Amino acid sequence: MTTTSSSAADEAAPTGPPVPFDPEVAAALAALGGFPPVTPDLVPLMRQGLPGRVPPTDEDLQRGGAFTVEERSVPGPDGAPDVSLLICRPTGTTTPVGAVYWIHGGGMVLGDNRAGVLEALDWAQELQLVVVSVEYRLAPETPHPGPVEDCYAGLVWTAAHAAELGFDPARLVVAGASAGGGLSAGVTLVARDRGAPALAGQLLIYPMIDDRNDSPSAVQMADTGTWGRTANTTGWTALLGEARGGPDVSPYAAPARERDLSGLPPTFVDVASAENFRDEDVAYATRIWQAGGRAELHVWPGGFHGFDGFAPEAVISHEARAARLRWLRRLLEA
Amino acid sequence: MRDLAVRLAALDPEAGAALRVVAYFDELAAGHAGLSAVVRGAAVLTGSPARLTDDRRHLCVRVEADGTSAAAPAAPGAGWLQARVDAGAVLWLERPGPARMVDAVVLERAGALARTVLERTRPLPGHPGADGPQDAALLEVALDAGADPGVRRAAARALGLDPLAPARAVATAGGAVRVAAAADPAPAPAVRAGVGPGGPVEDLPASAAAARRALRLTAEGTPGDPGPRVVHAEAVQALLLLADAVPAGAPPAADVVALERAAAAAPWMLTTLQALVSSATRRAAATDLALHHSTLQDRLATAQRLLGWDLHPPAGQQRLHLALVLRRLHRNA
Repeated sequence: MTTTSSSAADEAAPTGPPVPFDPEVAAALAALGGFPPVTPDLVPLMRQGLPGRVPPTDEDLQRGGAFTVEERSVPGPDGAPDVSLLICRPTGTTTPVGAVYWIHGGGMVLGDNRAGVLEALDWAQELQLVVVSVEYRLAPETPHPGPVEDCYAGLVWTAAHAAELGFDPARLVVAGASAGGGLSAGVTLVARDRGAPALAGQLLIYPMIDDRNDSPSAVQMADTGTWGRTANTTGWTALLGEARGGPDVSPYAAPARERDLSGLPPTFVDVASAENFRDEDVAYATRIWQAGGRAELHVWPGGFHGFDGFAPEAVISHEARAARLRWLRRLLEA
Repeated sequence: MRDLAVRLAALDPEAGAALRVVAYFDELAAGHAGLSAVVRGAAVLTGSPARLTDDRRHLCVRVEADGTSAAAPAAPGAGWLQARVDAGAVLWLERPGPARMVDAVVLERAGALARTVLERTRPLPGHPGADGPQDAALLEVALDAGADPGVRRAAARALGLDPLAPARAVATAGGAVRVAAAADPAPAPAVRAGVGPGGPVEDLPASAAAARRALRLTAEGTPGDPGPRVVHAEAVQALLLLADAVPAGAPPAADVVALERAAAAAPWMLTTLQALVSSATRRAAATDLALHHSTLQDRLATAQRLLGWDLHPPAGQQRLHLALVLRRLHRNA
């Protein structure tokens, strides 16, 4: 269980060597030449794009006419610029459907609202959903609370425009991966505490939720895989500055800090066994149960952070994606 | 980070392909990945469905380019890119050539790793097609005519044979005997071998005895020892009787002495005479030897003078043939 102390690693039993990677995802990473520990100086370079990473075009998002695609500028947080939303609506239905509010990942410092949205479109195609993907401002240019408040502003607008967008407001799910998973957990806490909007669920894909970055898995996995301990320090420091790891970090920035995890909508958490976030994410699901909530937890053996993105064809990647879709189907068809 | 993932499939398939492929399969090997992971790697890295078929293990593993496993819709296509994995297994990319560089490297690496994985995870214990030695104790039982037939059958099964299918023994140079399914491909000429007749596994002792005799009828296939490197007992049954008539240390017949005398006279002698007895016509023999017909005639004139008998009539050729066979039996006694 995550404690409020900043010395969880010291209190835990001694950790062993890093958990071995699943051979298939390890092979994909090896073939790509590995992934560097992301330090602040690498962030501007990575924002320019990476070979082999192709952002989806409008045509990709339309899926041969299955979706209409538009970008809408909607009011941002008080005193802040507007927020851009990428809105993909299914064309094959006239009845109200559910909606996924997608928050992209990228360690709080990278990415845009097309990143990772293709998996949300897979769900949408399968279950007839509207997908809304938010373009939040990134750290370090925009520190906390800018990113989470941008996400929340877009969420409020989306919920308020359910009729216009053609979805049932009772079936609105927040979803995101990595930093997007952390921001999803964050806006879900904000929505609970501010009383709106009502959410049908939160789908947290290996979410980045603990700025302390010192769990046994963080220590154990160190800079192996992709988003290791160094990269995580880079991301959290960009978002929180000097406050990172200290006593005054808001749970809206780092949801693992939240003491009260009651009153949350049904929650899906997945994470890999061989990544930094393993322990903080397992603890989050555990604490939701302990608070009397509903959560489903999947720990994929031998994955590193983002394994299903780097090795989408691997068996555990197929299974991880299938588990998310199954959960959504159960949630939204209930 | 997932949302920013760099994907292999999105990279230029040619740029750096060899390095990526080598790193990919090395890592799979290090992680003791299973067979489907290897086939999946081939599919993912080439962007083409891939399949591994293995006739001996009755396996078919097929993976789509997106990594999902799928049943094979049809038999492998005639022109598909492929690599031999072992005696019974083939790795296929489900599209015709020409092979890009990445296809060639994937087939080579994935094929080699598939072989390792098959040997580790699905060994064919003592299978005759495998390169490893067969279990000596099991062989002794399977080939022991005095052992109970039920015990012999059990030993044959333990050696990887189907006890209901025809089997045969194969004797190889040096005296080693293996057992094999009669339906298996014959030994390659790389191995000097006598092949026993196929029959019920209970008859393996007799097959082994015939194989050992047939082995004595083989030759190195060199100028000093021309002749077949692989001899099937079923094709030379009368000569097998001759083998028993030439025990070790027996004095050579006069025709063999004459043959040795002729062989000492010219380095081309034995090769030329072997070609004569194994070709349908002199013209065919000349072609086999890459000689002009008249050169062959000159050589044979020399040969029959040294041998002391006429090589033109069938009886003269038969006498030569038997002399060559007897010479091998003496050499392989």
